[in-house]
Amino acid sequence: MSKLEEVSVLITKGKAKLIGAAVQEALDDGCEATAVLDTMIDAMGVVGEQFKNNEIFVPEMLVAARAMKKGVEVLKPHLSGGSASVAGKVIIGTVAGDLHDIGKNLVAMMIESAGFEVIDLGVDVPADKFVEAVRENPDVKIVGLSALLTTTMPAMKNTVEVLNAADFRGSIKVMVGGAPITQEFADEIGADAYTADAASAAQKAKELAA
Amino acid sequence: MIIIGEKINGSIPSVAEAIANRDAEFIKDRARKQAEANATFIDCCASVPEEQEVETLKWMIECIQEVTDLPISVDSPSADVLVEAYKFCKRPGLFNSVSGEGDKIDKIFPIMAKEENKGWQVIALLSDDSGIPKCAADRLRVFGNIMAKAKEYGIAPSRIHIDPLVEMLCTSEDGIATNIEVISTVRKQYPDIHITAAVSNISFNLPVRKLINLGFLVLAMNAGLDSGILDPTNRDMLGLIYATEALLGEDDYCMEYIGAYREGLIGPKK
Repeated sequence: MSKLEEVSVLITKGKAKLIGAAVQEALDDGCEATAVLDTMIDAMGVVGEQFKNNEIFVPEMLVAARAMKKGVEVLKPHLSGGSASVAGKVIIGTVAGDLHDIGKNLVAMMIESAGFEVIDLGVDVPADKFVEAVRENPDVKIVGLSALLTTTMPAMKNTVEVLNAADFRGSIKVMVGGAPITQEFADEIGADAYTADAASAAQKAKELAA
Repeated sequence: MIIIGEKINGSIPSVAEAIANRDAEFIKDRARKQAEANATFIDCCASVPEEQEVETLKWMIECIQEVTDLPISVDSPSADVLVEAYKFCKRPGLFNSVSGEGDKIDKIFPIMAKEENKGWQVIALLSDDSGIPKCAADRLRVFGNIMAKAKEYGIAPSRIHIDPLVEMLCTSEDGIATNIEVISTVRKQYPDIHITAAVSNISFNLPVRKLINLGFLVLAMNAGLDSGILDPTNRDMLGLIYATEALLGEDDYCMEYIGAYREGLIGPKK
């Protein structure tokens, strides 16, 4: 098995304790840091796909992401600018009035594993907080909104409206998701994209940021 | 959970027959199946008259070692037999067992204290010359004596599996309260010690024994049991062990539980 293949296997198996050494070995072996990063991102892509297809359970995805994080820590100093966020910045949060964060966290994790820098605003985030965060990070590419309750769908609608009215709207894409959200609802409120699960969200984010 | 696979025991009629006929394949098959089911140790008990016991154990141990590298739990009520039989093991295993009875400890602990036997562990029953103490306080007194001996011989608590002695539920007056009190007290005093039990003893003479065994296992694990003499090929038992460990917060991200499922060890047979 090549060093890169080993890195890939350790990510998909979620071996957080072993990944650091494997990444270091790959680098020592002469692999480019970016190639190692791409390998890890691809491996997470496979994990996301398996999750989407109900082939693996949530914890298996979590440990893979944890391994990814450990691997990136070792890799970071070797990447130009010391940053692993090759794909860009994403702002994410659960909309006002909604305290649910499990789904949002899964999405944040998968998006981070896809090579993005994620700014997580947490739960119960008012619309103007999203606007403020975009102003503070003019290079942000995507804003992701989560809502789990039917009762907080209006807050999501309102947040998208506020974002749509902002002067920076042309430079960002708005993604929405959560149990009651549908493609139809996303279209109706003027969001750019809807995805049904964390893996698809990461995939979609990559497309939108490309 | 440390699983001491109980299926090679001469007190089981089919095993007794295999021993009498020196049917090596039968013994090997049971060893192999328990190894595949994630046993930690393979228990090996001859249950023959003492004068034939060492020779019988030698044959049994050799059969087991032909098919698995798992350590063996050398099982005999006679310390003299254990002193001879442990030598047949290729790798350090488990002395099963000593107790506060007679000079058993003084025969086994000196062997364990030797540098070359540092890998050996031991099961210690909380009985003494007066039999099985009725109340928890008396069993804990036996426990105290055993630990004093262990200290004397330099045997670390992590090499000792305390067996609080499980008696049949059907004649118990307090359910398993005595066992639970012993287990939780021992666990509190020695966080690194192992606590084991012959699980199926609990259900003797009751219908649908499985239900009693499973219920006992959960309650005992909750109190601090981390080792058990049981049948790992019993999928319900093994599944419940993994589930209970996860519920007790001893299984990070439930990965052991999921892993056992992925390996096909637990859940419905595919």
